[in-house]
Amino acid sequence: MSDQKIEVAANPAVPSAAKRRVDPLAIVVRFQSLIGLVLVAIGGIIFSPRRHGEILFLNPDNIANIVRAVSETGIIAIGMTFVIITAGIDLSVGAVLGLSSVVTASMMISGGFGLIPTILAVLVMGIVFGTVQGTISTRFRLEPFIVTLAGLQAARGLALIVSGNQYINISYGDGPGLAPPVFAVLGERLFDNTVPVATIVFIIFAAIATLVLNTTRFGRYVYAVGGNERAARISGVPVSMVKIAVYAITGFASALAGIVHAGQFNFGSANDGMGYELTAIAAVVIGGTSLFGGAGSMVGTVAGTIMLGALANILQLNNITPATQLLATAAIIVLAAVLQSLVRRREGLGR
Amino acid sequence: MRTTTGSRVLKAALLAGAGLCIAGSAYAANPLVKACSKDGQFVIGFSQANNAEPYRQHVNDELTAAAKQVPGFTLQIADGAGNVNTQTSQVDNFITQKVDILLISPFEAAPLTPAVKRAMDAGIPVIELDRKTVGEPGKDYTAFIGGDNFKIAEEAGKFTATKLLPDGGEAAVLEGLPSSTPAVERLNGFKEGVKGNAKIQIVAEQAADWVPDKAQTAFAAMLQAHPDIKVLYASNDMMAAGALLAAKGAGKDVKIIGTDGLPGPAGGIEAVAKGDWAATFTYPTGAKEAIDMSKKILLDCATSVDATVTVDTTAITPENAKALAGK
Repeated sequence: MSDQKIEVAANPAVPSAAKRRVDPLAIVVRFQSLIGLVLVAIGGIIFSPRRHGEILFLNPDNIANIVRAVSETGIIAIGMTFVIITAGIDLSVGAVLGLSSVVTASMMISGGFGLIPTILAVLVMGIVFGTVQGTISTRFRLEPFIVTLAGLQAARGLALIVSGNQYINISYGDGPGLAPPVFAVLGERLFDNTVPVATIVFIIFAAIATLVLNTTRFGRYVYAVGGNERAARISGVPVSMVKIAVYAITGFASALAGIVHAGQFNFGSANDGMGYELTAIAAVVIGGTSLFGGAGSMVGTVAGTIMLGALANILQLNNITPATQLLATAAIIVLAAVLQSLVRRREGLGR
Repeated sequence: MRTTTGSRVLKAALLAGAGLCIAGSAYAANPLVKACSKDGQFVIGFSQANNAEPYRQHVNDELTAAAKQVPGFTLQIADGAGNVNTQTSQVDNFITQKVDILLISPFEAAPLTPAVKRAMDAGIPVIELDRKTVGEPGKDYTAFIGGDNFKIAEEAGKFTATKLLPDGGEAAVLEGLPSSTPAVERLNGFKEGVKGNAKIQIVAEQAADWVPDKAQTAFAAMLQAHPDIKVLYASNDMMAAGALLAAKGAGKDVKIIGTDGLPGPAGGIEAVAKGDWAATFTYPTGAKEAIDMSKKILLDCATSVDATVTVDTTAITPENAKALAGK
């Protein structure tokens, strides 16, 4: 969790006194989603239904359910973390997931493409989609909110065109009209049927993203652009390039999530991923990343994502209505945001 | 010698065969759920596709009411919220909980198929309500209970042909979401039903995606183009409600037929009772049938159940609407 330090170091505008002061609240906020995850887990253990003394919440199958269910939104949230640290937003992610799952399905089923060309093409498509959005936003100085809102519509529209307004079932086998059977592995579990493959993709992507954000020059640039754009520009950070790059990353992440979706559910539909952008933003915010940019952590996002999944799981295991689930999520988002705002005020960083 | 040996072999084969038969029948005689008992406590998990649709809320209400009648049953409903990922994880949660029976209305067929298989593999009988996953009922899942969209719409067509327009005239159809299975089946069913009366012409058919606002716009345009439309068949109640607004706006007296027969103040039964629509045809929820089947499996230790149960529609007309609306 050295992200905040990196941010401060890369951000000349922050008074150096601020980083010396040890604020307990700031520590809580930095680790808020991990703390939240621990709290939810403890709550899960306490309130979990039991069978023959076994705590259902801790049942390996149940843990696998939780981490499988959040893997798609998790992959997206990881990309979203980069964007939000630069003080941007990407609303197109869920729609790009839908477009990617449709393209994946139709390339393999009606296009007759193999596994590798399909995956590469879809990932490149995601990167291109994000790059175009980032370029429009920086070139014409448009709010990313507007550009990616348009991107959302465009991606859904393209998905409807590609799919011909139909959903595409993926059947496996050799020959035309069938997908390579190995693709179905995305819906399976490895290591003695315990670890969902979708989760493995999520964790690997999270690990790479954490390294990129915390140890590379690009990662420091991302914090610098979000912390103080003008200062970053003066210090020689290629601000526009960084901004375009983060949207390329969300595009890539959405495409990856779309491939995982198609593989998990043997299916491509233009409606896939509806509303995922909001779940992903919620996970990022709960993870302690500030919507004002400049601060945030990847570990926080991962913990926030899993926390939302664990919360939904424990509420369902106890047969609590979906309405309560929404209210609980709402309360957590507000709490996370309020904590952040308090810290900003204490540090005198109120922007 | 040879004959004796032969007969011995034959006897042995017969014995083995008999043994197999006994083993086979003993296997078939196993109850679907081993823990079944008359006075047991059972949890039934229902994985609903999307609570946001009024019809699906109606299914939830009927299921809850039917389950309440059985003292040993606890019903848990999970809302898939129109998202196959959410619904899959909810089915997995039910498997973790080891519910005694899984009821499911899959949001989409193929994506939920693996989850249903996991439940079956875990020894949980799966009853599919209204929508199916991929595979055969009785084999890949325990049973399917639902209405027959084609037949329901065909009934509406016959009603039009014999009761509403016996002397012929112009009719129109509002279709659901194009390319969705129920939309196609209801459209074809209605057309089949009106074929009995050659004097009826279907002059317009438009998709309104199941929603009232699109139905209002589409039917207003239809009335502009074909002012003599006498009957409108709407593929669900919500579109019928939208069409009524269009007819009122145009000052036309069109006989409107809905589908689904939803209860409540905004539902089709009330609309027929008030005289706004000519009829609506219920799309049965199968809730009562699902709970009955659960009783057979869990309380009566059934060794097998009907793999497919088709629930018939009820025609709601001005004659019976008032009585049914009060219910």
